[in-house]
Order: sequence, then C-alpha cells, then structure tokens
Amino acid sequence: MRGVRQVALGMAFSFFILSLGLVYWQVVRADTLLQNPANRRLILMESRVTRGGIFDRNGEIIAQTQILNGKKVRVYPKGEMFEPALGYSSVKLGASGLEANLADWLLGIKNATPTQAVQQLFALPRQGDDVVLTLDSRLQSIAYDALKGKMGAAVALDPRTGEVLAMVSQPSFNPTNLDQHWNEIISQEEKRPLAEKQRPLEHRYFSLFPPGSTMKVVTSAALFRSGINTTDLYQCQGSTIINGQVIREQNDKAHGWVNYNMALAESCNTYFATFGVQAGDQTFLSVVKGFGFGQKIPFELSLPRSSITQEAKNPSSLNTNLLAASTFGQGEVLVSPFHMALMTAGIANHGVIMTPHLVERVLDPSQDILFQQKPQPWLTALSKEEADKITSAMVTAVTEGTAAPGALPNVQVAGKTGSAEPGGNVPTHAWYIAFAPAEEPQIAVAVIVENGGTGGGNAAPIARQIIQEALNQKVGDKK
Amino acid sequence: MIRRLTLRILILGMMWIGLGLLKLDTEMSRLLWQALIFTVIVLMGSLMEHLFNYQGDPYILPVVQAIMALGLVFVVRINPDVALHQFWWANIGQLLFYAVLWSIRDYRYFGRFRYIWGLLAVGLLLVTLLFGSEEGGATSSFRIGGIGLQPEEFVKLALLLFMATYLEENEELLRVGTVQWGRFSLPDWRTLRPFMIMVAFVLGILAAQKSLGTALVFYMLFVLMLYVVTERTLYLGISMPVFLLTGTVGYMLFRHVRVRVSVWLNPWQDPTGMGYQIAQSLFAIGGGKILGTGLGNGIGASTVPVAISDFIFSVIAEELGFAGAMAVLVLFLIVVMRAFAISIRAKDRFGQILAAGIGILLGTETLIILAGVTKLLPLTGIPLPWVSYGGSSLIVHFILLGVLLNISNATAVSSHTTKNRGREYAT
Repeated sequence: MRGVRQVALGMAFSFFILSLGLVYWQVVRADTLLQNPANRRLILMESRVTRGGIFDRNGEIIAQTQILNGKKVRVYPKGEMFEPALGYSSVKLGASGLEANLADWLLGIKNATPTQAVQQLFALPRQGDDVVLTLDSRLQSIAYDALKGKMGAAVALDPRTGEVLAMVSQPSFNPTNLDQHWNEIISQEEKRPLAEKQRPLEHRYFSLFPPGSTMKVVTSAALFRSGINTTDLYQCQGSTIINGQVIREQNDKAHGWVNYNMALAESCNTYFATFGVQAGDQTFLSVVKGFGFGQKIPFELSLPRSSITQEAKNPSSLNTNLLAASTFGQGEVLVSPFHMALMTAGIANHGVIMTPHLVERVLDPSQDILFQQKPQPWLTALSKEEADKITSAMVTAVTEGTAAPGALPNVQVAGKTGSAEPGGNVPTHAWYIAFAPAEEPQIAVAVIVENGGTGGGNAAPIARQIIQEALNQKVGDKK
Repeated sequence: MIRRLTLRILILGMMWIGLGLLKLDTEMSRLLWQALIFTVIVLMGSLMEHLFNYQGDPYILPVVQAIMALGLVFVVRINPDVALHQFWWANIGQLLFYAVLWSIRDYRYFGRFRYIWGLLAVGLLLVTLLFGSEEGGATSSFRIGGIGLQPEEFVKLALLLFMATYLEENEELLRVGTVQWGRFSLPDWRTLRPFMIMVAFVLGILAAQKSLGTALVFYMLFVLMLYVVTERTLYLGISMPVFLLTGTVGYMLFRHVRVRVSVWLNPWQDPTGMGYQIAQSLFAIGGGKILGTGLGNGIGASTVPVAISDFIFSVIAEELGFAGAMAVLVLFLIVVMRAFAISIRAKDRFGQILAAGIGILLGTETLIILAGVTKLLPLTGIPLPWVSYGGSSLIVHFILLGVLLNISNATAVSSHTTKNRGREYAT
C-alpha cells in the first residue's frame, strides 16, 4: 500500500504546483497580460460601455451612441463641422481628438459613480458620462460654412472665461461611418500632388504659421514699455533700412505721418520695426513671454508652443535684424491660430488671458453634475492701460484702417489684419483677429486662410459673420 | 438520507442558477427538458442509493455531479447550440454509471477478459487510424451514423482493465527480480515482454495519430500503475530515460511536436500565429484575476480556440476567477484522493489495483490538460473529465466512476459480512 500512498502524495503535490500556476497568471501577471498588444480584452471591454454623448453648450448633440438593429453605433449628426477637434472612436481605427481625450469621462472611468464602479468591477454593461462642451454649434456652423472650400482655421473664445466657442479647421473629414471611408480619405490624399495636399486630419488651429502683422498687437506692448509717446508722429516712406536690412511696407505703400493708432490701423511695418528695435530685444522678449510664447498652453487638447525663433524655447536675446522682422510677425516667429485667439482674448479681457477650455461640464448617466468648469486666469499679458491703448488702435483699424471689412453696424469691433509671408513664391496667409463689442468684449476671434491673400479681404469677413452671430445671440438671449 | 438529498439539491440549485444567469431565451426551451431529466436522474439516483443501501464512498458521486453541473453550465455558456448533446451524454452517462454500480455483482468479473481487453484497446486504435477523420491535426475521432466517437477514450477503459488484470496475475513476477544484474534484480524478460510490446504498440499508434496528450496519459498510467503494484523504484527510474528517449525521437520525427515545444517555450513571440492558442488561454486566465468577470461576462469564451473542450478550464478561470478555478482543482483533487482511499481499503488485490488505476487515470488527465492551459507543460489537447464537451469522454468517465464506486460499495458491504465468510484479503 506504500505505492498507492506515494502516488497519491505525488498527485496532491502536482495539484498544489498547478494552483501556484494559477496564482502566477491570475494575480502576479494579470495586469501584464492585460497590457499585451495581442490581448483584445481592453478594447472589447470598452465595447461593453455605452459611450457617453458629447453635446454643445446649447445641448445639441454632437456625438452620441445609439443602438441601431441591436448594434451600438456612434452617430455624429453634425457631420464634418466639428472635425477634426471632435475626432473619432472606433474599434478598428482607435480614437483621436476629443473622443480620445475625453475617453475617461465618456467611458465612465474617471470619478466613477459607485454604480459605475460596481459595474466596472463585474464587467457589466454600463453607461458612460455625458460631456457638455463650451462650443456653440451655431458659431461653429457659420465658421465652417465660411471656411468650406478654403484651407484654414477659425477659433472663437469668450475672453472673460476662456470658453472656446468655435474651433474649425478646413478641409476636414466626415466622422460618420469612418471605418468604411477611412481608406478612401487616406488614398485620395496620397494621390494629390504635394502642392494640393489637403491634410484633412490636421488640426489647423493648432498648426504653426508666421503671424504677420497680427503680431503688431503684441509688439505694441513692447513699444509702450520702452516709454514712447504714442501720440508722436512718425513719417512712413514706404520702406526703411534698419541695420542694413530693408524693411518694406506691403505693396511699398507710404503711409505718411502716422501716430501709434494710425500705424496699427494702417499696419505700418516700418513704424513697428523702428520703435520695436528701439525698445530692444529684452523688452520684446519679456512681452512675448507674457503672451505665452514658448510656453505650454493648458488645454484639453495638446498643441505646439508658439515660438520667436526656430528653437522651441524662448531665446535669451535676439539680433537686431531678427528683432526688426519679428516686430511685424515675420522672421522666424510662428504662432498657432488658437494661440492668436488667446492673445486677442487677453487684450479684450483687459490684459488677462483666461485658461482656455472646451469642457463645460460632465454629467453622469442620471444627469447629476460630476464636473463643472470654472474660469481661471492663465497669464497677465498686459496692464489695463496697455490693453485699452491696443484696443483703441484696433478699433481705429476697423473704422479707418485695413480691418474695415470686419466692421459691423451698431457694434464697435476691434480688429487687426495680417498678411503673412510663408516664404517662397506663394500668396500670403490671410490673418484676422478681432473682438467685440470693443468696450465690453464678449467674443474674441482668430481666423487664418492659408495662402488666402490679404487678411482684410479674405479673413476679416469670416470673423465678422461669427461675431455678428454671437452678438445677435446675446441680444436674443436677453429677451 | 436527508443529507444526501440536501447535497444533491444544492448541486442542482447551483446548475439551475448558472443556467438562469446565462439569460438564454430560445435555446433554453430546448435545453429545459434535458436539464429536467438530468435533475430527475440525480435525485432518483440519490433515492436509489438509499433503497439499495449503498455503503460505499459518500463523497465521490456528489463531487463528480458538482463538476458535471459546472461543466454543463459552461458548455451551455460557450455554445448553447451543442449543449443539448452534452446534456444527452450526461444523462446517458449517469444511467450507465448506475447500471455499472448496481448490475455488476462482483467487479472481479472484469478480470476474466484480460486479453480481450488488450485486443480491444489495440483494435479500437487501429480502426480509428484506418477510418478516422482528422480533427485539429490529430487523427483521433471516428464517425458512426453522424455521431463523432473518440475511440481513444474507450481505449482508456479497455487498457485500464487489461492492465489491472495483467498486473494482478503477474504481480509476484514483476515485484521480485528474477534476473540478477550486479546488485540489481531485474524482472524476467518473459514476464515483461507482452507488457512492453503492448505499451510500445499503443504509444506508436498514438504517435502516428499525433494525439500527444493521450499518449502521455497512457504512458503515465502504465508507469504509475506498475509502481503502485510492484512498489519498485526501479520502474520509475527506468521510466524517465524511456520517456526522454521517446520524447526526443518524437521531437525529431514530428514537426508538430517541435512547434508545440517552441510555442510552449515562448508563446509571446508570435501570439497571433502559432502561439495563439496558449496566449489566448493565458489572457483569459489572467483576465479572471481573483474573483473573475462573472458568468457570461468573460471574453475568452469567444476568443480562445476550442474553448468548449480542451480550453474550457481557461474560460472557467476567467469567469469565476482564481476562486472558481481553485474550487475546480479542489473538486478534482477530492475525487482523485478518494479513489486512492478506496484502493487502500479494497479487500482484494484486483480491486486495489483497479481503483488505484482509476485514480491515476483521472489525476493524470486533469493534471496534463490543466498544466497545458496554464503553460506549466507543453499544451496537449485532451478533454477535462466531466467538464469538456464530448460524449465519449463523458460516458467512459461515468463508467470508470461506476466501477470505482462498485469496488467501494463491495468493500463496505463485505466488511460487514465477511467475518464468517472466507474472502481473499489484501496482501
């Protein structure tokens, strides 16, 4: 009977080893296994969650998961309008844009309610949270319609709170049934010759462009801080030579005798170059730092830093030639339209740039508020006096200067045009920044049309439509 | 009596709750009748034990029924369409179990046909090899009238009976060496010869069939039974080099063996290709963590290949977690240990050998497939007794269980009545 006992003992021991194997896989290695790329559990687990909806500030549906014929389908009733900011989410393509960035909320993982936590623990089907954005479909649709057929971007902010009201990039793509259309979108883009590439996936409001004359609103602060008298007159002769470098006006137009207000309104390059160089590189660099150049912009989506030189970090000094070119936004200066809108909002908000945000609030499945955004200042770029001076010059630009196409009846608009040379023999990028009403700003806008020509002619009308709609709404809201 | 019934009702309750949790609508109505018949058989069987005054081991049958109930729930969960067959086989299996338990008056009757058992085993394998159809790289199934048969399962039964008879008869010869070789006394070559030929034949055929797991089970069964009977460490010592030699020859001869081994050593190298099975199995087991995802919530049921048979344990481990997987291990351990306990108590040598053989067979089968799906050993596809989908395996294991409890019952009955009767005693 000794043999039977020994075999029994051996069997019992083997079962014990087997249980250690289970401990190893189910406890020690469980998380490593879950992270293995060949393991589709994470993706499939996501499919158990009914992704929360995304709504605009008025409660209009931007993205929603609906059950069609027993299958979960992500529907985007607004089509292309909110792309590429909205992004997409599919098992096949993964996720991008807000759909990816807000996934924690949409899947009910972040700040999970007790019900969601239990459902998550036992992998039960569950409902994610709904996200309400600060975006306004009406403004978004106006900007989208105005940019349709062009290549460019528009950003609208509420300067008082940092709420992003519209954020459009064109051309873009339609997120509906993206799984089927994806290859088509990619192959069409690949077939186009280099000069005609449409870059439909690019977030153009985050792309870096030379800002051109819109930069002058920033340079203005350096001028004030060097102590120049803004009422003093300067004779613009159409071009000037600074340190051996020829500074030319657009179309070599001589503006004649101009003060600061007129120089900004007429967008006089020689005025800003002359007094900018006089103010010195250190003053200029401290001003641009105050406006957020070289800094990471706190936002739900990540965007590149704007820069003065080709290095991402702010330089410690600038040579005179580069400084002269930077004062009117050429040289090596690169800014994203989104950052341009933020700087405009800073001027509108009396010098304080509010932290921008896209998420207004998050609601759990029973529509209780899980998260509510609060306005927070980001940077103080200007003193109130500086901001007021720039504002008044920007008003002059609209009433008497290059920004005239941005004017609106009954409302004082403050604006600034830009026609930035991207380098090479191509039309200039049309820039326009504006806010309104000038005395009590409710909206700040930045528009760029790539290779669109002059800012006044091609970008300002788009901004005007957005501002008009926004202010009409406000009047309507008060009723 | 009350305890017996309460236990069965608990087990059946577990099964019905499990089936209820699966939220089946259309399939359930078809399964309902079979599940009811299963319930009736379990309860009637329990009554019958009372009426016929069953005195054998009281634990094994309820534990096996618990395993069976769990297996049925998971077969339904993984594929409700084929679960009906599994219920059929479970019911037929139980009836056969009771038939073996009650109709065979003296299990020593089996011992009369030793060479017939041996021939049957060889014959069944040959028939499969010649007429069998290939499934998953192994030529091991055989179709008669639309029903797939796995003859190797029946070979297990035949082989076990043959070995028990043969070993009982030749025990003394094997135990005492008849040839002196230095300090060692080796068994007479003549005694071992038919045995060796038999085993070599079975292994050869299985190698040709590419059913490695079954070959391994047979080999372990042979070695361990030989050791249990003779208690000579020499046999264990000889078995290792023989095993390694056979393994090396197999590795060199067969490509699928080499693939199995390389996949076992590193399944992550190619988790979507060759390593797919084992990687998916481990993903499923790991996905269960401690408490599991809950019945019906696991992902492995749809991603693990052959989840319903070879890999059913991975699905159980995912959905019931470490807790559930350990429970399954413990249930199997109880059955195996009770089988050895029956072997030790049995009144005659044949009963002892047969019971021990059944314990060894169940233990090795469970260990080999579970070690395979947890990557402790190279994966060899064999069914998990009473759990995996497959009629042949179910029926054979119920018959084995019937034989085991028949021995147990006879032991208990004889210990009450043998005071005056001259029955053989254990040596």
